[in-house]
Amino acid sequence: MKLRTVLLRSALALAIAALAVQPKPTFAASHREAPITALDHKADITDWYAYVSPENGEKVILIMNVDPLLEPSNGPNYFPFDPNVLYEMKIDNTFDGIEDIVFQFRFQSHIAQPNVFTGFVGGLFNIPPITSLSGPGAAGLSEFQTYSVQMLGKGHNEDLGVGQTLIAVPTNVGPRTMPNYAALRQQGIYTLSNGIRVFAGTVADPFFIDLGAFFDSLNFRMQAGSGVLPQNIEMDDHNNYAPNSVAGFNVNTIVLEIPTQLLTQDGQMHPATDARAVIGTWATTSRRRRPVLGEETEAGGWAQIQRMGNPLINEGVIGTGFKDRFSMDAPVNDAQFANFFLNPLVPQILASVGLPVPPAPRTDLLPLVQYAAPICPGCTAAQAGPVADLLRLNTGIPPTPITQLKRLGFIAGDIAGFPNGRRPQDDVLDIALRALEGILVDPKKFGTPLGDGVNVSSSPLTQMFPFLGAAYDGRNSVHEGPGQAGCNTLVNQTCPTN
Amino acid sequence: MKTLTVLLMAGIAFAATPAETAIESAKVQIVKQPDFALNYNALATAYVMRAEETADSRYYAKAEESLERCFKLAPDLYEGKKTEVLIQLGRHQYTQALKSATKLNKRTPDDVAVYGYLVDADVALGNYKDAVTAAQWMLDLRPENIPGLSHAAMLRELHGNLAGALDLMLMAYGSMPLAATFDRASILTRIAHLHVVMGDVPKAEKSAKEALDVFPDYYAALAELARVRVVEKQYGEAAALLTKLCIAVPRGEYMYLRAEALELSGQIDEAKKAFAEFERKALAETALEDNSSHELVAYYVDHALEPGKALAIAQREVERRKDVFTLDSYAWALAANGQYDAANAQMKAMQIPTKDPRIAAHAAFIAEHLQPVKGQEAGSR
Repeated sequence: MKLRTVLLRSALALAIAALAVQPKPTFAASHREAPITALDHKADITDWYAYVSPENGEKVILIMNVDPLLEPSNGPNYFPFDPNVLYEMKIDNTFDGIEDIVFQFRFQSHIAQPNVFTGFVGGLFNIPPITSLSGPGAAGLSEFQTYSVQMLGKGHNEDLGVGQTLIAVPTNVGPRTMPNYAALRQQGIYTLSNGIRVFAGTVADPFFIDLGAFFDSLNFRMQAGSGVLPQNIEMDDHNNYAPNSVAGFNVNTIVLEIPTQLLTQDGQMHPATDARAVIGTWATTSRRRRPVLGEETEAGGWAQIQRMGNPLINEGVIGTGFKDRFSMDAPVNDAQFANFFLNPLVPQILASVGLPVPPAPRTDLLPLVQYAAPICPGCTAAQAGPVADLLRLNTGIPPTPITQLKRLGFIAGDIAGFPNGRRPQDDVLDIALRALEGILVDPKKFGTPLGDGVNVSSSPLTQMFPFLGAAYDGRNSVHEGPGQAGCNTLVNQTCPTN
Repeated sequence: MKTLTVLLMAGIAFAATPAETAIESAKVQIVKQPDFALNYNALATAYVMRAEETADSRYYAKAEESLERCFKLAPDLYEGKKTEVLIQLGRHQYTQALKSATKLNKRTPDDVAVYGYLVDADVALGNYKDAVTAAQWMLDLRPENIPGLSHAAMLRELHGNLAGALDLMLMAYGSMPLAATFDRASILTRIAHLHVVMGDVPKAEKSAKEALDVFPDYYAALAELARVRVVEKQYGEAAALLTKLCIAVPRGEYMYLRAEALELSGQIDEAKKAFAEFERKALAETALEDNSSHELVAYYVDHALEPGKALAIAQREVERRKDVFTLDSYAWALAANGQYDAANAQMKAMQIPTKDPRIAAHAAFIAEHLQPVKGQEAGSR
């Protein structure tokens, strides 16, 4: 009785006003909208490479390429990194699929000449050509980006570029604006603390693939064997027999050269037979998270947009309804995608056209997603770790000299190549197709030479840091397509249309 | 000129709603392609939309009927399974909805809409931690998407961050397409509600009226406007609005609000009649999942003075779900029966720091009536 008399009059209006605080999911407005397709090119990781440096076997090269298919002439602002994206390179050296060392990159944009109509100008209006990233010779560099490199580890958080201004190398606008682009880009190589070197900027995309044929339901070119390479193409590590869809396009890159000791669990170099020589690597991009709860500040954290370990996993293995979740989740949670790894669709497709493939479950593919031989011959069963899409690198395996390098990497006996890490020269499409076909089970039975006929990068890869070719020139560069130049050994050097 | 105005008004009055348009369109498609399962799913979805537009649960039966035909043609159709969850949510079958949505989420973890279903079911069942996780995935997978923003806003509100909830709702509203009249009205109503709870009555009124302009006679907006009138102490007007609402949408929750408003406005006989009507309806619904049990408990405690009945109803409801409103309702019934310690335990079982004024008032009252622990009593002296 008391309850009513005390509360009724004072609480009644309050109760009425407050009643609807209770959410009514039945009539929420939000069930039916289609998901918004957020194509986030700036945060799109095109490729991730990790390999022992061909310049110095005691160093590891990590390369993260982002922002795909940049048309070199696409001014006036060209291709800045996104200052709102956190770019990260991650290393697991304890076999648990969780990062132990992280390199973080953040970019900042600057406008030096707000009234100039284009971001880059030179040899015009008394503005000298751009010959320098800063100071004299940089007057025409109206837009430029600086960046920071942070190394995080157990109890370790270091700004590697302290005391330096790190400038991202702009794209190659053209010969009038940037008459000596090679020299300009050379200025973008910085030596950081701990003997680390870094390069960030626009480069020629080193990737090579007949994308059109691949995504047209594996409709590979007849002249390149329709997907099964003839002997001459199979053995050729230097020429293309089908159009490289990526040729003539630029990409943004971050290249890091790190002493191996900084990456291993005990700070030492180890022989290939020692498990401690093996690291798991991957790259991520993230944007500031809008937290459901809590404040929208730095503490709110980051929402991962994409990750990449092994190439072509998300594109070729993960199901359509899982791709975003895969991109945004951590490798340590990859057990949820184990079915895609152990019973991938591509071998089923290959089997449907009469090619022999091993039956599922495909445990032969586990070395791609666990620490095991042949990449980690020293790993025990206990060190296999969880199923996790990491690009695993045995730092104890010395680099192959460029002249002896095989495009098919590990499966061609060049054990410094993919899937032991990945180099820009590795023909990952052909290797991946063969791995999925079952070459690791039995190279004779399941060794049909599958491939797209694109065997080599169209951009001139260099033998020195940062290893990737200079950005294509915005004024004069062309692409390679069906019926166009690019296939040097064919008639008129023209790539096939069929 | 006058004729033109009349014609224009008639045009507005008879303009089809988004759901009505969708229903007609789906029916035409079914005639054209009677063997195409997705057409029947489109019709089922349109009926669910219509149920949301009208609060008339009979449309769910129509949706089910159409979905049955869809599944005859394609038994495992993913889009159909999603509609099935929508119907379960609409019917307040939250446990089943959670189970179904979890299955769908495993089947297609990239589908933002399914995370929304998980949030709705988890919130209704009181699984707030899981709801927050699912809502965070919505925002992470598709930053700034409208369902993600509105679900996150709901959770912020439940967790007591009213300003943060309002931010997200305004952002969601800013992204709404003009043609989505019902969805716009729905978000405007939620904005109005947040303004009410935050004490900004003029803005609440403005938003509620805008909602009614966008989607005339929208029941939730009418209810919100009535709440504004109550806060303004214009009880008669509130009662009039709620009377109009209850004729169109005779839901228990609105009938209870109307009865209270009538009582506040001094229309005691009308209020008694309204409470009796409400009680009859609410009692008939207690076995159903879509019921007015929270209001019925409040009625028995605050108006009918029948705490035993209140406790029986509250106990049954708390066995079904453990959300803060159900826990509050149970605690209030326990308190009405003099079981203050047990009531306090229910209040403490709430996992989230909600700022709901009614819950806060109940909690304060219960705390006041707790028997002091002996040691503490001595210490306090």
